[in-house]
Order: sequence, then structure tokens, then C-alpha cells
Amino acid sequence: MSPGLHTKPAVVKAASTLLAEMKDVASSLTYAALLTDDGFDVARLPGETDGARFAGMASSMQALGDAVAHELKIGTSEYIIIASGKGYVVQLRVPGQELVLSALFDNDATIGSALAIARTYAQKMAELLK
Amino acid sequence: MAEHVILFAGPMGAGKSTAIQSLSDIDVVRTEANNSERHIVDKATTTVALDYGEILIDGEEKVRLYGIPGQKRFDFMWGILKTRARGMVLLVNNDAPDPVAEMLYFIDEFRDLYDRGGVVVGISRSDLVDGPTLADFSDALERTNPDLVIPVFTVDPRERDQMVDVLLTLVVNIEMREALGATMAAAL
Repeated sequence: MSPGLHTKPAVVKAASTLLAEMKDVASSLTYAALLTDDGFDVARLPGETDGARFAGMASSMQALGDAVAHELKIGTSEYIIIASGKGYVVQLRVPGQELVLSALFDNDATIGSALAIARTYAQKMAELLK
Repeated sequence: MAEHVILFAGPMGAGKSTAIQSLSDIDVVRTEANNSERHIVDKATTTVALDYGEILIDGEEKVRLYGIPGQKRFDFMWGILKTRARGMVLLVNNDAPDPVAEMLYFIDEFRDLYDRGGVVVGISRSDLVDGPTLADFSDALERTNPDLVIPVFTVDPRERDQMVDVLLTLVVNIEMREALGATMAAAL
């Protein structure tokens, strides 16, 4: 049995570095988190926030998205977007890993640009973990 | 046609998903993720949002079955699911470090459901350990919650017949309390 990714210092460090890079590229990014499929916080930005509760919620949302896609027979859920008057949450799985990236962008971003950035960094995280 | 919404609560590994799978007439909606806490409960996957199933009892009463994730970090889901339920099957695995304390913790967390409908307790995995007896669970309930009437069973969540008995006990309990409430209201 292998312990969760949140317990591996190298993964936590890579995740923190990646989120910092993401913020450098996208000033509209106001919160981001990497979390395990079963709801453990791996890293978050800003780093000083308590990510435990959000990690649980984001993992539930990811699993519900997968369940809805399965129910409606549309394959697997590729990403989830929550749009509100103050911004967008974009969430997707890190390809090939039991990890989820969830990112909040303010209204300076468009949904398209927010999704493109989130996809790029989910892919980068996957490459870092290869 | 009467309808009930029943919550299946209890700690990780108690058998909530298995119980809903055993009972449901429809394909169960599952939200499983690989379990990173196998040092705590050694099972491959764990529920991270909810399980959902349905069963028709006596050919006319539809019972909607919702399972919660057992870990405290998912307690936001407990709040969401609690609001729609009218009763609770509380499953506790007897091979947990302190199963009586687990039962009392969940009774306390989901006390609303007793007040709104009813609760039954099912103790699972009793055959695997020399854990507390049913009397130990009942005594603890009586000591801490003397005003509550909560049946306690030994169950194997894999056995549909056993789970149907537990569910029917709960449904009858809820309906009797509803009928008593209506009678008392009419008398006032």
C-alpha cells in the first residue's frame, strides 16, 4: 500500500512551486489548491491559508462530476467550472495522477483563459511527477 | 405513494456503501476515490461525496438511500445530506479502536435526524473481533441519551435480508412516531 501524495515531501514541494509559478503567469489567480482524489490538501496558494476544508469539498465535487458524467454516459469529466459574479473556479484532474487542481480566478480572466492556464499547469504537474 | 429519505452514516469502513449496494433496486451512484489512509482502514477506495440508491418496500413505499463519507473532513457533505433525510441507519464497525465512542459521536452529530424521524444502529464486523457486545452499545446509549429510543442490531452489510430488516425497523419507527405526533396534535 502506498501512502497518499500529500504525505510525500517531494510532491508537496513540487506542488507549491508549481502553484507559485501559476500565480506569476496569471495575476487573475486568487486561490489555487492541489489535493488528492480522497480530499487531502497537498499545497495551496496563498500558502498560509488552511486548505483542509476546501480540499475535502473540491474532491467531493470532482467525484460528483465523475458520477454525473457516468450517469449521463458522456465519458469522463474533463473539468468543472463554477462561475459566479466575482470570478470562476476551474477544476480538473492532474493527468495520470490521483491529484486534482482547483483554481479560483477573478473577473479579469475569461473562462477560456482560466481554463487554458489550469490545463497547462495540471499538465506540468503531471510531468513533474513522472 | 409514501417516500422516505434515509441517511446511512458512520465511520469509514463501517459498511455504508456496501449496505446501500445490498439494498438498492437501482444502480448505485457512487463517488469513490482511492483511499490514502489504508493505515487507518485497509480498503482500496473510500466514498468522498455520497452514495445514492433506491429501494421499493411493500411495492409502494420508495426509500431513497444516501450514504455519507465517514471521515470528518467531509462534514460539509454531512450538513448537505442531513437536511434532506428523515431518518438514519448508523453503522459502526466493531473492529474500530473505540466503536462505542464512534457510535456516540455520530448520534450526537446527527441528532437532528432522531428528532425529525428516527435512528437505528447496526454494528458490523462483530464476527471479526471480540469487541463490545450489543448490550455495551445499548447501555452506552441509555447512559448518554436516556431520552432516546434507538434499536441496536448486529448486521452484515453484505446481506440484503439483514439490511432490509434494519431499514424496515427504521421506517416503521418513523411512521409510528409520525402517527403518534398526528394523534397528539389532533387531541390538543
